[in-house]
Amino acid sequence: MITKAEGRPSRDGQRAPRQRTMSLDLLRLPILGRFLCWRYSRIALQVPVFFLSLIMIAHAFWGPQLAPKNLAALLTWVHFRGLVVLVILLSGNLFCMACPFMLPRDIARRLFSPRWRWPRMLRNKWPAIGLFVLVLFAYELFDLWSDPWWTGMLIVTYFAGALIVDSLFRQASFCKYLCPIGQFNFLSSTLAPLEVAVRDIHICSECQTKDCIRGVRAAIDTELKTPSGGQLPIVQRGCELALFQPRKVDNLDCTFCLDCVYACPYDNVGILTRLPAEQLAVSGPRSGIGTIEHRFDFTVLATVFTFGALLNAFAMISPVYALEQWIAERTGLRVEWPILMAMFAVALILEPAMLLGIAAAVSRSVARTSDSLLTTINRFARSLVPIGFGVWLAHYGFHFFTGFLTVIPIAQNAALQSFGWPLLGEPQWAWGGLPESIVFPLECGFMGLGLLGSWRVSWAIAHQLSPGRVWSCFAPWALLHLLLFLSALWIMTQPMDMRGTFLGG
Amino acid sequence: MQHNSIVRRYLWTMLILGVGCSPGASEKTDILVDLTLTPSPPVVGNTQMSLKLATSDGTPVDGAEVRLEGNMNHAGMKPSFAELQEAEPGRYLGTLNFTMGGDWFILVTAKTPDGQTVQQKVDVPGVKTR
Repeated sequence: MITKAEGRPSRDGQRAPRQRTMSLDLLRLPILGRFLCWRYSRIALQVPVFFLSLIMIAHAFWGPQLAPKNLAALLTWVHFRGLVVLVILLSGNLFCMACPFMLPRDIARRLFSPRWRWPRMLRNKWPAIGLFVLVLFAYELFDLWSDPWWTGMLIVTYFAGALIVDSLFRQASFCKYLCPIGQFNFLSSTLAPLEVAVRDIHICSECQTKDCIRGVRAAIDTELKTPSGGQLPIVQRGCELALFQPRKVDNLDCTFCLDCVYACPYDNVGILTRLPAEQLAVSGPRSGIGTIEHRFDFTVLATVFTFGALLNAFAMISPVYALEQWIAERTGLRVEWPILMAMFAVALILEPAMLLGIAAAVSRSVARTSDSLLTTINRFARSLVPIGFGVWLAHYGFHFFTGFLTVIPIAQNAALQSFGWPLLGEPQWAWGGLPESIVFPLECGFMGLGLLGSWRVSWAIAHQLSPGRVWSCFAPWALLHLLLFLSALWIMTQPMDMRGTFLGG
Repeated sequence: MQHNSIVRRYLWTMLILGVGCSPGASEKTDILVDLTLTPSPPVVGNTQMSLKLATSDGTPVDGAEVRLEGNMNHAGMKPSFAELQEAEPGRYLGTLNFTMGGDWFILVTAKTPDGQTVQQKVDVPGVKTR
């Protein structure tokens, strides 16, 4: 058990020393801890996922072009998405830890080093937000969930994108500034019970080398050749996402790569348990991120994450087709993309702008603060993340729980077709997953937890903003969260209707 | 050397997996498949299937074993199966359960008495929810 004493949020979310928190450190556990402390543990996790990705790519391009029979479509849209959110809920950002896209990039970096730094004007979340929305849009427009070939192309593009970007630019530019999955995981893992964190802050205050961020260079007495710059080569990276451990807050931008763990000369970084969402309300500067309440790009990211969850779920039920049909009849449009684009604009720009604007205006007037409307929105935008994550969990959890066993007959079928005999047994097509009657209460539970989390975070922010009028300041945001929860609940109670052809169908 | 061997084996497996799973497994025959659904458009639940098998000159194909497999175009759903019974020469009837609204496709497999196998994919877009 580890005792952490500093840098945790107080009850009102201020970043100040607080009562000591007892945390369990995963790295201290007998077998798991030893494995994770092994310097090559990340590669050991990445390699199987990488080979699984290759199987998926092969099946996407040369396997049956029917999504329910194809491993790429099934594993990407059912298992991967479901497992990502469930693993984050139960532990932490383990997908980024085992990310297969980083393996070719790391191999390439052994051959040559990138020369450039990521452009200053793009050192924010705007490129990633654009890509995140683009993926959501392409998913609906091209019905990626029903198209193995395009799913394969998406995976290949991802590999190529990560390789090219990180071959040109230093540090983990792709993860920090571009990767849509990464941003999704970073935000989601603010709700995770695990965090890579310092064990004893007092040790850090005496540290002179700051290896956790600078990296460890080869010892001077080694026979390694020094590069032309005269600096000794780095033998262990520090944090490539610019998170300085003693000042790091929460899991934002943390890929769980554990470079800081291996770099720390004092063995002072662990994987510690904590209360989920505990640090979302923390105000003030965060290492590698800055002051979140001053960053509009983070506000937009949290908004797109949350309202995108509702939109993505809404797109799988019947009313969306009625709405699209209605728009098509009114406008005379016979192609989907402008209609879909209009729906995206309403769901991701107009609706959030209106709802957040109203909530901020009310709480601002109640709190009698000199903050601008935008500053108030920036302050409270973080409180959207828990309910957003709850909706993603409910949606992806639904697909995963109702279909997780379908991978067995599909793998059996793939083996049967590949080798001509049932290597993995005859396909058991009756295998599916849990019945919807069991999954629906789980969905409600996930969304309910999200609602409670959002209320908890907005309460803490309201307390920071206006300690004397917490209830009044909190109420408009609580109503907004409730509205989002009820909307999501309504969506989840609608019969699912997976269609790709609303105009033709 | 050992690493090279593992990589080579893996690539061969990939190739076999890829080639073995190539689409277009249906055999070319001159048998025509005509599938009718009742109600049309179909709704979630049991749907009557009527399938006509005939040669290109219109001669009914009787005595065939006809099997239907219904799938949603979304991965992660259990397929529905139906064995059709011959009601009259060349006409086969049965029931298939559409378990969810949305786009479906039906894989028809018919084995004729002379050993031919007919496989055809029939798209069933927009199965409506009740």
